[in-house]
Amino acid sequence: MAPLRQIAFYGKGGIGKSTTSQNTLAALAEMGQKILIVGCDPKADSTRLILHAKAQNSVLSLAAEAGSVEDLELADVLKSGYRDIRCVESGGPEPGVGCAGRGVITAINFLEENGAYEGVDYVSYDVLGDVVCGGFAMPIRENKAQEIYIVMSGEMMALYAANNIAKGILKYASSGGVRLGGLICNSRMTDKELDLAEALSARLNSKLIHFVPRDNIVQHAELRRMTVLEYDPESKQAEEYRQLAQKIHANGGKGTIPTPITMEELEEMLMEFGIMTPEDENIVGKAKAAVVA
Amino acid sequence: MPQTVEKILDHSQLFNEPEYQELFERKKQFECGSSLEEIAKQSAYINTWEYREKNLAREALTVNPAKACQPLGALFASVGFEKTLAFNHGSQGCTAYFRSHLARHFKEPCAAVSTSMTEDAAVFGGMNNLIEGLQNAYTVYKPKMIAISTTCIAEVIGDDLTAYVQNARLKGAIPQDFPIVKANTPSFVGSHVNGYDVLVKGVLVNFWDGKTRGEVTEKINIIPGFDGFAVGNNRELKRIFGEFGVDLTIISDVSDQFDTPTDGEYRMFDGGTTIEQVEEAINAKGTISMQKYCSDKALDFISATGQPTASFHYPMGLKATDDLLMKISELTGKPIPASLEKERGRLVDAMADSSNWLHGKSYSIFGDPDFVYGMTQFLLETGGEPVHLLATNGGKEWEAEMKALLATSPYGAKAQVWAGKDLWAMRSLLATEPSDFLIGSSYGKYLERDLGIPLIRLTFPIFDRHHHHRFPTWGYQGSLRVLVTVLDKILDVLDAQTSKTGISFDLVR
Amino acid sequence: MDAESKAARKQLVADVLSEYPEKTAKKRAKHINVYEEGASDCGVKSNIKSIPGVMTVRGCAYAGAKGVVWGPIKDMVHISHGPVGCGQYSWAQRRNYVSDGVTGVTSWVTMQVTSDFQEKDIVFGGDKKLAKVVDEIEAIFPLNKGISVMSECPVGLIGDDIEAVAKKKTKEIGKVIAPVRCEGFRGVSQSLGHHIANDVMRDYIVDKAPPAPETWVSTPYDVLIVGDYNIGGDAWSSRILLEEMGLRVIGQWSGDGSVGEIENGPRAKLNLIHCYRSMNYICRHMEEKYGIPWIEYNFFGPSQIAKSLRAIAALFDETIQAGAERVIAKYKPLVDGILAKYKPRLEGKKIMLYVGGLRPRHVSDAYGDIGMDVTATGYEFAHSDDYQRTTEYIKDGTLVYDDASEFELEHFVKALRPDLVGSGIKEKYGTQKMGVPFRQMHSWDYSGPYHGYDGFAIFARDMDLAVNNPVWKMHKAPWGKE
Repeated sequence: MAPLRQIAFYGKGGIGKSTTSQNTLAALAEMGQKILIVGCDPKADSTRLILHAKAQNSVLSLAAEAGSVEDLELADVLKSGYRDIRCVESGGPEPGVGCAGRGVITAINFLEENGAYEGVDYVSYDVLGDVVCGGFAMPIRENKAQEIYIVMSGEMMALYAANNIAKGILKYASSGGVRLGGLICNSRMTDKELDLAEALSARLNSKLIHFVPRDNIVQHAELRRMTVLEYDPESKQAEEYRQLAQKIHANGGKGTIPTPITMEELEEMLMEFGIMTPEDENIVGKAKAAVVA
Repeated sequence: MPQTVEKILDHSQLFNEPEYQELFERKKQFECGSSLEEIAKQSAYINTWEYREKNLAREALTVNPAKACQPLGALFASVGFEKTLAFNHGSQGCTAYFRSHLARHFKEPCAAVSTSMTEDAAVFGGMNNLIEGLQNAYTVYKPKMIAISTTCIAEVIGDDLTAYVQNARLKGAIPQDFPIVKANTPSFVGSHVNGYDVLVKGVLVNFWDGKTRGEVTEKINIIPGFDGFAVGNNRELKRIFGEFGVDLTIISDVSDQFDTPTDGEYRMFDGGTTIEQVEEAINAKGTISMQKYCSDKALDFISATGQPTASFHYPMGLKATDDLLMKISELTGKPIPASLEKERGRLVDAMADSSNWLHGKSYSIFGDPDFVYGMTQFLLETGGEPVHLLATNGGKEWEAEMKALLATSPYGAKAQVWAGKDLWAMRSLLATEPSDFLIGSSYGKYLERDLGIPLIRLTFPIFDRHHHHRFPTWGYQGSLRVLVTVLDKILDVLDAQTSKTGISFDLVR
Repeated sequence: MDAESKAARKQLVADVLSEYPEKTAKKRAKHINVYEEGASDCGVKSNIKSIPGVMTVRGCAYAGAKGVVWGPIKDMVHISHGPVGCGQYSWAQRRNYVSDGVTGVTSWVTMQVTSDFQEKDIVFGGDKKLAKVVDEIEAIFPLNKGISVMSECPVGLIGDDIEAVAKKKTKEIGKVIAPVRCEGFRGVSQSLGHHIANDVMRDYIVDKAPPAPETWVSTPYDVLIVGDYNIGGDAWSSRILLEEMGLRVIGQWSGDGSVGEIENGPRAKLNLIHCYRSMNYICRHMEEKYGIPWIEYNFFGPSQIAKSLRAIAALFDETIQAGAERVIAKYKPLVDGILAKYKPRLEGKKIMLYVGGLRPRHVSDAYGDIGMDVTATGYEFAHSDDYQRTTEYIKDGTLVYDDASEFELEHFVKALRPDLVGSGIKEKYGTQKMGVPFRQMHSWDYSGPYHGYDGFAIFARDMDLAVNNPVWKMHKAPWGKE
């Protein structure tokens, strides 16, 4: 049996991270890979397209009902969906209370201790947009994900976020085995998007794994809480995800230690591509009236 | 004036003097306390069944729990390894508390360091604290090993020990090959018995991971578990194994660490399991845990190597010791030595001699799950009748095991098992359904005072009596001492009860 | 002290520091000094973060707030809010005695009340649990006069809003619920916990105190005892002297204290503060807001007691002044008797102290009274104003250390070989192993009281029994080499 591949998808909130990851994992499942998805987002919606469900009962909500995590069985939290992809959500509190990061730690510890990783080829962590505290970095710790895939687009904020995530990875890469697998551009049809994505990938000492074009069929499938692979396996978009899946499958052990760039460097790059105009120091801090005058 | 040079009165008597009693009376007017009627009413009410129901219905509030938190257990396990410095990653107050807590029980120093995380570390993570802490601890205290456990702050913010330790090595704060073991021990999970387990497992993982069992040695490993009587018990285990002629490795042996001599030298480290012993232990014939609930995870890890394991519940009394000896014999292939069989006979002899005083006495017991089990089992053998059996850190599995144990004896019929309850619940239980005696830790002294049920101190922590931990409670010899402790209390109480009339205040019993 | 001895002490300090990594040595050097007569302070830095990994003796803000200031208030239920440990380890450890109170009915000082956080409380937040804890307290402890919520680390980290819960529940139950944000990671020691505790006491009780009842009759002699935690009964052996000199003590803060006595606060004419470090904050506030002056006093040993009685009396009329003289005269025979009995046994003995934020200076003259000499002293959590005050007590050449590590203390004990060490439980047994007598000076080693004249008798007796117990001559076997 091939060694367990552990990967994680990170990216700015709303970038289409969950959609991209679920479609890709569905394609990997098509290739005969046994997949476990670990959703690490308090919203618990990382597995909805696989399970055709709104949100999955999470480890933490079930633990809260049962009393403690020790009272749970693996079968309570593990659900199987499309092509037997196993799904689990860490879950967590509503926004503004408690500690969602701790929830991720608890859930992953529970899964490991109870053998959830046995008999699978891939474990994929789908992590909340921003690594806001140590808990959300849990999937990139030693002996967890070996490769991180950053989902991004040509939008400015997505590029910022990608660079920030690379910083996070670097912190752990210097002491452990985690590597940046590559960038996945989930197209938003912005100007020079492909070029930018490739340029940023290069600057980060990584590569653009795949450029996923925009296609409305993704939304059609989403409405049905399905992946494109399941909704319309013959579609062109399904083929895109298959390509992405194959690339990731072939990318094992080829991750790199990222070289994140400074804010200034990033801004320079954006200016090069005309995404950002140079700041006019004269207008900074001036109200509309003052500028008119 | 109450105080005189000839007879200096301290707190225990001074305030009974009229001057102070009057002072207390004067003070009352400023206190705005409850009325005497209210107090009398509530004082009576807390002994009723109605109050008991209210009290036992609590879901959120815990009052007088008989459990501590994980890192205490981890610290205890840490110092059982040779020249190992217990190292807490978290707030410094935690470490101060653990050290005080253990010092108060053992009347011994207890060394441990903290990474002293403060507000900035809470925000930015504790890596710098950990690295600086490792460097200082390594340089100043020159340990052979450092055992890291965590306290709440590091756990809530999600500090990554593995990565931080690796960075400490990269930065040269500690040598590349310096042994560091790690245990994640948040206080909001489990109790000290789990912390003990996680740390022991951490040690084994550190030295065994990636290795496979080689040629099996003649040795047996013992994991004693968290035990306030470890000093006496570990030494008793060594004696028993000596009788067998079997080499044993106690995995985490605190018996010397918590019993250093006063001879002019302060030993920060003394005794303990060596790293070599730990490394060798993978090839032992088997591992015996003396306390199942202190070793769940460690035993799973050991079993996975293919090594046979067995676990006990704080073996006290006849059958528990019989089972232990038979297990040693089974694992080693050696017969049970005649010397121990003779000890067995002596214990039976003592039980027989005292049986008329012991039979039918009723007891309530509280403490860690394994202790309550072991104590109950022994008392059933004396014809004792357990009443309330309570472990604040006991769970469903323990409750089921207790009920199975009670079902084995006609004397267990009256007993009720209380998993997860605290000592304020015990107060209601004893007020409504009393037992003759209460067995537990020093925490029981308030129950003894308020309910008049004599307390027998036989488990951790014992703060208000000295040196009990120096004597064993395990094996036939240890059981003998437990028997005498219980018996002394029974007869002391009888003497006190009969001393007034003189009837039954007998010279011979 | 002669120059040579002083130089030797400086060398000792340098030797100990040299064992540290360079950066640590540099930091620690600022906290240790050999005192120069006439200097305005002790020449040490204080109230700075402890260094990771060196085994500080310090505790945390929770220990200062719950363990010291709030915990002794007897008719309130103090919730250790968070995981079980903090409350467990501090359960009934400070011997804050109460004079009137039935455990679990009207007094909770010797009980451990906790919300016992589990993982789910961390992840989903603990505010709902806290609200329920309050309800359950009301159900099983209905005669409580109020509740304090002592936050442990996780509560602050996960962002629980305990103030909101306190506000809501206070409305429901009509009693004070004081949210005390004393998470252990705040500040650098117990000290910030004292400050936080003072502030909450100010905001939630003192400033909200209802007006005096109609039956209340004020006198010009109404005073408060502030910063006495009644360890071993200290506050009582102090109170008895104040009452004997004619003052009326209307509240004890917080040893054997009650919500009623804290509410009496604004009616005091003078605040008498014993532990300056832990409660000066509230005195300053009451001076500002209510115009109540305050005076520090010291009831350790006859010299300081007499001095303090006279200083207090000087702020009142002649009746009180005469009262002070009467009290001093009354106890003189007792004092003389004690000195006659114990001074010869203790004369010239050296003591090394390391305590919290007050006693390293405050007990100094009491030792002087029985003929003993403080050769080294230092604080766990003092501030610079404490070190300034310390200069009034110590002699030239005294070794002074701030936030000393166990490593430093061990070496100083070894080198100075004092006849007695006074510090805490963590230091006790290691010191005794070295054959050096020891007294716990936080808890009075399960003795006390030490305050006042009655307390002085016990103090002298205890120092004698520590220093002169035969066991301290037994640690070397007769067949030993030396």
